[in-house]
Amino acid sequence: MTRLDTPSMPSVDGVLQQSIHDIDIPPRPKIIDQIRAEMNSDAPNLRGIAGLINLDVSLAAGLIKTANSPYFGFGRRARSAHEALTMLGLDVTCRAIAAISLRRAFPNSAHYERFWHASASVATLSGWLAQQRRVPGVRADDAYTYGLFRDCGIVILLRRYPAYQGILAGANLDRDMPFTAVEQAALPTDHTVVGCLLAQNWWLPGEICAAIRHHHSLLALVEPVSPLKMPGRYLVAIAQTAEYLLQQLTGGSRTEEWAKLGPACCDLLGLDDAGLAEICREAEPLLHLVE
Amino acid sequence: MPDKHAVIDPITGFLDRRSCLHAAHRMLAAAESTRQPLAALWIDLDRFRQINASFGHAAGDEVIARVAGRIRMVLPSGGHLLARMGSDEFVVMLRGEDRPVAEAFGRLLLVTIEQSLCIDEILIHPSASIGVALLQAGDDALSLLERADRAMGEAKRQGGGRLEMAAGEVLPGYHGVSLAREELAIEADLHAALDSGGLSLEYQPIVSRDGRVEAVEALMRCKVFGRNLTPDRFIPVAEKSGLIIRLGEWSLLQGARFAARLRDEGRPTKVAINVSRAQLTSPEFLPALHGALLCADISPELLELELTESLAMELADVVQDNLRRVREAGVGLAIDDFGTGFSSLSSLKDLPATKLKLDKSFIQVLPEDRRALAVVKAATRMGRELGMVVVAEGVETDAQRQCLEEAGVDALQGFALARPMPEDLLLNWLKQRNSP
Repeated sequence: MTRLDTPSMPSVDGVLQQSIHDIDIPPRPKIIDQIRAEMNSDAPNLRGIAGLINLDVSLAAGLIKTANSPYFGFGRRARSAHEALTMLGLDVTCRAIAAISLRRAFPNSAHYERFWHASASVATLSGWLAQQRRVPGVRADDAYTYGLFRDCGIVILLRRYPAYQGILAGANLDRDMPFTAVEQAALPTDHTVVGCLLAQNWWLPGEICAAIRHHHSLLALVEPVSPLKMPGRYLVAIAQTAEYLLQQLTGGSRTEEWAKLGPACCDLLGLDDAGLAEICREAEPLLHLVE
Repeated sequence: MPDKHAVIDPITGFLDRRSCLHAAHRMLAAAESTRQPLAALWIDLDRFRQINASFGHAAGDEVIARVAGRIRMVLPSGGHLLARMGSDEFVVMLRGEDRPVAEAFGRLLLVTIEQSLCIDEILIHPSASIGVALLQAGDDALSLLERADRAMGEAKRQGGGRLEMAAGEVLPGYHGVSLAREELAIEADLHAALDSGGLSLEYQPIVSRDGRVEAVEALMRCKVFGRNLTPDRFIPVAEKSGLIIRLGEWSLLQGARFAARLRDEGRPTKVAINVSRAQLTSPEFLPALHGALLCADISPELLELELTESLAMELADVVQDNLRRVREAGVGLAIDDFGTGFSSLSSLKDLPATKLKLDKSFIQVLPEDRRALAVVKAATRMGRELGMVVVAEGVETDAQRQCLEEAGVDALQGFALARPMPEDLLLNWLKQRNSP
């Protein structure tokens, strides 16, 4: 969980009364719908889709960068949106576009800058961890996308309820109650539900949506019968470990989540104390790559 | 769970075939006495004979050992059973696991085994066929394993590198395919639709007697790989597989977003969304409802939930509690298909519903069927006395429309008024109605 500096906890009524109605929560980018429609047609036309992507120069550039990122390790470099599309395939392209669009969907604001930077760091470290630990059934780009979307519900709640900042602080510091229980004690919903709804609406894969929904649930990580299948559990463990690495390396984003979930995450990823210390050392140079 | 007589296969460290049967027998007895589920996975490497022939038996043994290591690596903890049944066959028995976990574990095994192996500088690309069977009443260890083995054989016949569930009861289904298999195919299509944008909503107007559009009902559509799946086929499978919760949540936000769009276009209209039993009994239902209202930024009066009569009458505390809290939140509640269930009048009077939708079976026989008309009139009076808006569904002819208006029904829905339409079309329809 990413922490924002906050005042004290507000009352329930106060929170609900502060609800503001002039803010739009990001609708699904149109380009995703256009690509999905093409995917579900009998004969998808890649060149046509590349044409759509090229209409948005920064989106095309972002996609080319994704295809050339170390997560994929393709032998050649993409030079155009069409080449990137051919290399990534339609499904991965859609996820990459969702990831590129997420931040753009919220207006630029210095207030959220730290939040986005922390999310981007968790995402980058998650992609690296998935590769480094060779986690079965989890692709590095999925871990990256998950890291980026995992806490997007927080931004939505912050924009709806200004007093959410206080609730978030309380949840971050609570040593006993699950994070979402602290939120639900003050609100009719929580950031995992809202984030999962947004991810479902943006057509992210089921495992990523479920992992967003249950990323504060210890039971979902450890119980044999759980709403999270194994790849979903690995995703949660990877991003939680990434967040821990970030906290260790930067001293920021102090939360109690590692105390609650850390042992289960390490167990899933096969990490002992020495292993954790080692990846912490290895991860440091990566933080400089986060934009 | 090896005992002191168990024989361990030296290459894999798993139980051998005979010890497996003993251990499986004990696991099964324990599962039956504690009423815990039990799943058996039969794993067979594809083209193993070819590997042995091409690279020699030493390389073959190495492949077996490495694959066994991979199986062990992904096996969840909890006293499960691992066995090597033949040269290239393995069995995993998962204690306490039901179908979703067993299937997910099987799929995880597939992708894990498929990672290429480097043996003596030769790159080998293994793959496996996996059959999964779940403990059923009357099973013994042998029959459970046999069903898993048969399902594996089916996976192999279909080209290998895949997983098949042992079909339970095989009933005749569509196109001569067994019903169980047909359902699995639909379930796979639904997963694909949810992950690839194959779902959409169409909206059918509900029109008041004064011509005002009282609400629009959201109806789910599913299109995968160019094929349309009809709701009568995919909804039952979604309910059975638990996917209905995800479909339902997706509809909640999608419908709420459309309500916001209608409001922003100056045509504020209530959007009615169907909810299922699985949703209403889930502790996550209310947070999801509030989450959808919040994401779409609409006031709760713009949303209405439709549930069947039998669900509305369900006495389970969690259902009644959720219904009450839905109303407290200001979201409307409509009882769908009214007249087909078994409402008791005492439950009806306590129900916090705001709308009663008379089932189309009463409407379609109008105006000829006088007894149906009598029921419609009585239900309409009762609904209105209870403070509910009464709607007739499935109105297909002008004669029915006129008859229902005379009977005092508040609002009508059906082809005689308007078909279900996608968002843009409905918006145009609304604009045209209001233009002079």
